[in-house]
Amino acid sequence: MELLRFTTAGSIDDGKSTLTGRLLYDTGNIKDDVLESVSKVGNTINLAHITDGLRSERAGGITIDIGYRYFKTNNRKYIISDAPGHFQYTKNMVTGASNVDVMIILVDARNGITSQTRLHSLVASFLRTRYVVVAINKMDALAYAEDVFESTRIEYRSIAEKLQLRDVIFIPISALHGDNVSAHSENMPWYNGPDLLSFLEQCDTQKTANGPGRLSIQYTAEDESTGRTLYFGKVLSVEIHKGERLTVFPSGNEVLIEKYISGYEELETAKAGENICLELNTNDGVKRGSILAPLTHSPQCTKHLTADICWLDPEIDCDQNKEFILRINTQESICRFRDIEYRINPFSFDKERVAGLKVNEVASVIIETEIPIAYDNYDVCPENARGIIIDPATHNTVAAIMIH
Amino acid sequence: MNYLQELEAEAIYVFREIAAQFKKPVLLFSGGKDSTLLIHLAAKAFYPMSIPFPVMHVDTGHNFEEALRFRDQLVQQKGLKLIVRKVEDSIIKYGIEEPVEKLPSRNVLQSITLMDAIREFGFDACIGSGRRDEEKARAKERFFSVRDKEGKWQPYNQKPELWNIYNGYIDEGENMRVFPISNWTEMDVWQYIRQENIALPSLYFSHERSCIVHNGRLIAVSEYIKIDDEDIRLTENVRYRTVGDMTCTAAIKSDARTIDEVIREIETSNISERGETRIDDQLSDAAMEDRKLQGYF
Ligand SMILES: Nc1nc2c(ncn2[C@@H]2O[C@H](COP(=O)(O)OP(=O)(O)O)[C@@H](O)[C@H]2O)c(=O)[nH]1
Repeated sequence: MELLRFTTAGSIDDGKSTLTGRLLYDTGNIKDDVLESVSKVGNTINLAHITDGLRSERAGGITIDIGYRYFKTNNRKYIISDAPGHFQYTKNMVTGASNVDVMIILVDARNGITSQTRLHSLVASFLRTRYVVVAINKMDALAYAEDVFESTRIEYRSIAEKLQLRDVIFIPISALHGDNVSAHSENMPWYNGPDLLSFLEQCDTQKTANGPGRLSIQYTAEDESTGRTLYFGKVLSVEIHKGERLTVFPSGNEVLIEKYISGYEELETAKAGENICLELNTNDGVKRGSILAPLTHSPQCTKHLTADICWLDPEIDCDQNKEFILRINTQESICRFRDIEYRINPFSFDKERVAGLKVNEVASVIIETEIPIAYDNYDVCPENARGIIIDPATHNTVAAIMIH
Repeated sequence: MNYLQELEAEAIYVFREIAAQFKKPVLLFSGGKDSTLLIHLAAKAFYPMSIPFPVMHVDTGHNFEEALRFRDQLVQQKGLKLIVRKVEDSIIKYGIEEPVEKLPSRNVLQSITLMDAIREFGFDACIGSGRRDEEKARAKERFFSVRDKEGKWQPYNQKPELWNIYNGYIDEGENMRVFPISNWTEMDVWQYIRQENIALPSLYFSHERSCIVHNGRLIAVSEYIKIDDEDIRLTENVRYRTVGDMTCTAAIKSDARTIDEVIREIETSNISERGETRIDDQLSDAAMEDRKLQGYF
């Protein structure tokens, strides 16, 4: 059985919590005691309440931070990150969306596309989210009319094009009444596509891994019983074989894998996603943060990188005189911002020159690091193309970057 | 990868991040199924080496004997270093008056003992077995969750946490709580226990036990609870779905004697894990949130 991660985005009151509650309810994933603890309006349960978390969130009726929910069908296991809708909390929405296969963007059919729809789409584009489902909600309130759905779809198409979103799917739903959520709705015979759950059940979850092999070193320690150094790490893409000669980055040394362990077993080959433990023929220049790559397929290794950035801190600025810490997988270096090439306007998505960056803004920056960073393009090896920026003074994660 | 492999890989990655990013981590271990799972995952994460940090039990003194015995066995078998710090000692040290109740809980007091132990040993990271699926406040936790100098969680000011890049930077005196099995459900835990053939305390399987009925729940007869003449005493075939203190964990009627039978039972149960067994969470809608704000696991 496979795992699918998705998030629900949209403005406040577009029906995110209701939709999550509806999916859990329709798939039989709400236990009786939880259902009983949820408030009722007359005889109908308040589906939105099922996902409420902290006390002030319940009191204020808003979601501030991501909440995670879990459910399963006979086919798949699901992790939902229930995202806040407020502009102010978009940075939390980015956390919840970073790992997902599918972002469901809810649009209230009565209001059409809003500035939050645009901002969340910009986040999907920044994160290169595999699928975006535009769920046009509250169709019941507009007598399930096709023309509203069509006009919203046409408007969103131009957003998707401009942001180069990958796969976009449009579904007209009523989260409240369950239309097109877990079964095709008879109220909308004009719609021929899949209902939301059918789409989630069938979409491809395969993470692409067609680039050259990459291995990242996470932790090193001495095995006291043998006196040998053990290298714990992860295969980031494709596969790496025992006995293969590899180049270490950034040191440039050559090493040979003498022993490969995954779990409790010795291996000949390790595949993408596997946590492994290695013994090497030399200890020279291999440490946490090292990238091991086949001799013929090196990553980029420089002190200058151009990256998309999403600023996440409301207090700290993208100050060009300030030192930050860059982390890409386990590599780390002091860094500075050399230039903001452009900011993407959150409404028109045009590129524009700006002096600084504020929270929830997406831009392109040039970063200079103190030590060389070995990175790949996102299409080659996603895990070696994305990173975070940490403020050494506050220890906060102030931004996320994607190398293009 | 299937979903169990994916969850396992995620947890192992987190364990290695802890070892790499912190000077003095400790794994919180009570003998319950979730912290037992943590020990097995840690052993796998660092094989062929042994687990590079100690385990600690914050002992309320209200334990099930079976859990303590199991704790000591597993510690010995895996060659771990066990630290035990007792709530009893904090009670004496601070002259705390324990309320006299029918089911006296030392759950809140555990935070005091934990914070003292963190300062005593200088632990910078405590590895916990909290799962987001358990409870609504837990559903909000990051994998790496900062506690301030007083041990408090600030749920409205959590750091962004993207992909699998974990920011372990903290200030002197602050402390990180790390939850490697954040994304596991109760069922995932049992499926993995079955797959890896992990031993658990006998409490998790059907056994005969003398209980009283309190608010419709079965509470084990023990020296830690106050039993009145009105109490109805029953001897039932029961098992535990979660194991905490004897005073605040309820048993459920069950004939499930094997892992397969337990999995079948949970699959067909229409009550959630904590809803069925945790008395401490029934006190108020935000009982867990309140405890977490005060430094609880
Ligand atoms: N008519 C109608 N109302 C809906 C629908 N979905 C949600 N709502 C209502 O919209 C309001 C906001 O929903 P909620 O799920 O809390 O939105 P959130 O802020 O995005 O989580 C609530 O009053 C819901 O009952 C729908 O499909 N149709």
